[in-house]
Amino acid sequence: MIDITKNIKTVLIIFLVLFIGLISYVTYFEMVVGPQIVNNVSNKRLWVQRNEVLRGTIYDRDMTALTKSKRIDQDTQTREYTNGPLFAHAIGYVDVKYGITGLERKYDSELIYSSIKDNIMNFIKYKGKLPQKVGNSIQTTLDYNIQKKAYDLLGSNKGSVVVLNPKTGEILAMVSKPSFDPNSLDENWKDINSNAAMPLINRATAGLYPPGSTFKVVTAASALENISGIMDRTFEDKGKIVFNDNESLSNYNGEVLGTLNFKGAFVHSSNVFFGTLGMELGNSKLKKTAEAFNFNADTPADGVTIENSQFPSYNIFEKGNIAQSAIGQSSVLATPMEMALVASTIANDGVMMKPYIVGKVLSSSGEALKTIEPVKIRQVTSSDTAATIKDFMRAVVTDGTGTNAAIPGIEVCGKTGTADNQEGSEPHSWFIGFAPYDDPQVVVAVIVENGGQGGGIAAKIAAQVMKTALSK
Amino acid sequence: MGSDRDEKKLLKYIYLLCIVCFLNLTLIKMPIDAGAMVMALVTCVMIGVSYFVIRRYFPEGDKHIFIFASVLSVIGIVMIYRLDTASSVKQLIWFAISVTGFILTVVILPDLKRFCNLRYLFLAGTLIFMSMAIFIGTEINGSKNWVVVAGFSFQPSEFGKLFFVAYLASALKEYQNSFKELIQPAIVVMACLGFMVLQKDLGSALIFFGISITMLYIATSKTKYVLACIGLFAAGATISYQLFDHVRLRVMIWKNPWPYANNQSYQVVQSMFSIASGGFTGTGLGLGHPEYVPINTSDFIFAAICEELGILTGFALIIIYFLLFYRCMRAAINAGDNFSRLLAVGFSSMIASQVIVIVGGVINMIPLTGITMPLVSYGGTSMLITFLALGVIQKISEEGR
Repeated sequence: MIDITKNIKTVLIIFLVLFIGLISYVTYFEMVVGPQIVNNVSNKRLWVQRNEVLRGTIYDRDMTALTKSKRIDQDTQTREYTNGPLFAHAIGYVDVKYGITGLERKYDSELIYSSIKDNIMNFIKYKGKLPQKVGNSIQTTLDYNIQKKAYDLLGSNKGSVVVLNPKTGEILAMVSKPSFDPNSLDENWKDINSNAAMPLINRATAGLYPPGSTFKVVTAASALENISGIMDRTFEDKGKIVFNDNESLSNYNGEVLGTLNFKGAFVHSSNVFFGTLGMELGNSKLKKTAEAFNFNADTPADGVTIENSQFPSYNIFEKGNIAQSAIGQSSVLATPMEMALVASTIANDGVMMKPYIVGKVLSSSGEALKTIEPVKIRQVTSSDTAATIKDFMRAVVTDGTGTNAAIPGIEVCGKTGTADNQEGSEPHSWFIGFAPYDDPQVVVAVIVENGGQGGGIAAKIAAQVMKTALSK
Repeated sequence: MGSDRDEKKLLKYIYLLCIVCFLNLTLIKMPIDAGAMVMALVTCVMIGVSYFVIRRYFPEGDKHIFIFASVLSVIGIVMIYRLDTASSVKQLIWFAISVTGFILTVVILPDLKRFCNLRYLFLAGTLIFMSMAIFIGTEINGSKNWVVVAGFSFQPSEFGKLFFVAYLASALKEYQNSFKELIQPAIVVMACLGFMVLQKDLGSALIFFGISITMLYIATSKTKYVLACIGLFAAGATISYQLFDHVRLRVMIWKNPWPYANNQSYQVVQSMFSIASGGFTGTGLGLGHPEYVPINTSDFIFAAICEELGILTGFALIIIYFLLFYRCMRAAINAGDNFSRLLAVGFSSMIASQVIVIVGGVINMIPLTGITMPLVSYGGTSMLITFLALGVIQKISEEGR
């Protein structure tokens, strides 16, 4: 008989190792995998938690209710979005079947937070019958009137309007078109999910567009900070720069603008001047300025997620692309929110403020639990540079491409953009601007997809929106 | 006797665990659920009486085996009570039957050495039970490994396991360094694995493989045989992967369950949510939502336990399984002959591999295969078989002293 006890001990050790491996993996699962998966939409536990508390209300800045939650029975509650598609992208939606998006998602934990806990003290205090638990409410920075105006002005166009307070970064309006009705997701889901116009996308923060000439604000800032004597320079605009046999850059409609100084080139949006400026600056300097304006980086924000805008890197010999990038074409891409922040930085003496959409968190009885304070992102340009560009932008509206944005009695500043996108389709119409000149209160960025020249529809919408915002 | 006092102490802790858990379940319901306290008392009495019988009539044996088995059963009964009261009562009845079976095994079985030459009887039993479901099986939860006889359903492969281990023990007990002796067992093992794959019972296949290589290594002391087996198993697994859709599906789910979270991988995804939601200390008994996990009283009971009692309880379970395994292997070392040793090792590795396969499966460490967690999961056959196997080991532990 062979003695096999030694083998038994070996096997015991092997199984010990396997069991230790098992415990280690369970630990790993708990510490690493677990936190990543518990918030998955397929996890029904979150919905049970959400359902325990009647979801808090979302208000606009003047305490107009934008949502209304109603308890049906112990297991169900409904949420009505009082303005239907108007705030669909800004607020998002919450739906057991289709998940949770936008502000509803970002502030989910507040909206379902109730100070009444299931503990013994409360149990005794309320004699076994706990009162209805209602979640905290949110007072947003959104302004119903501005949102409504912008929404109506965009009409059936695709595009977006972002309105900010340049001094604080408060988001006053955020419209994305086409929109959808969050009250009837179930009926329309198939259409809104597969529609080629992509109504579910929040174009304000996730739509990446070539910024076109609105980007000249960034290029101008870069030139002012990197090229000494730029203000004294004059330049002969012959209507076209030729790089080689098949690459060239010309002004809008092939216009020849003649002798220009820096300001004139900005006011009349000379592609030739700015393209040349881009080549003189070089890719790395322009990119550095663009990145100071938060291109290629996460933009800090509260209550919204902003897609990263992109400014490319080019080799020194790619002259055509470098020149194109200086006028916001080539592979430069920006969200409407980013371009609003660019204008806001100029309006706010070169300081970019962190955009935010929630002003206060209120308890269900209305007392303020938390007030969100404005936060500076950084000093992007010197205040002198900002002041110079502000003058330029004022002149755009008085004498340049943006005269459609003028509002009687208010000194509006702005920059138009006409962004080429696909070959053969109408360019996107852009306008970024702010008012009033002396003491900017409101910043606006408008894009109308395939809306043509920036000085046209986008400038007109911007004027109306700013007028509404300033009429209070 | 010092160990006697320790055992009594352990027993008191089991009573405490049982009473505390059921008290919790009593109070959490509105109005108070007195039935839970009845369950607690019946369980405690049953464990107390059984322990008394074992100690009184068989003082030589290893009483820890029964104690560890009781802790596991108590946790199982408590959890099943919380999930599905009716099943829990049945489980308690099965616990009683199984413990009786355990005691009877120890009482009735004559000296185990007398069985060591019944090799062909064991072989016949193995083949009949293993293949039974292929011919008269019913498909439940995706595996065709159930047989329904007169309204009473059971998994024949569970009984097959007992014969399988006994057969291997008698076939390998006199191994004398000749390869020829291994040919017949090798064919039987492969046939059994084949039957399991055909019944879509991949979990059992994995366990039979675990038992086989453990026993092979112990009988022959040859690492190269073990490596060769692993090689063959890998080849077999690859071929089954190519051949069978259900095998491919399991692997696909294991690699990335998320894209199919609402259909094919629903079970494992829900199980992962459940475990992740519990955290280290759990939500508290009765306060979580293990009802979202499918088959939560049987295959996924580990997930339900982790959600409500916490991963720490999960660790405790795994550790208790290991202690049980250790006591069983200890009995094997102390046994007087190789047949008993192999038998004890076979049954212990059966329980241990089942734990590894199901715990690994519910957290998606390995592809999920539906098998029960020994003694904890709801299921009469599984519990009876496990207690019978433990009864044999108990017997061996007595002979060894």
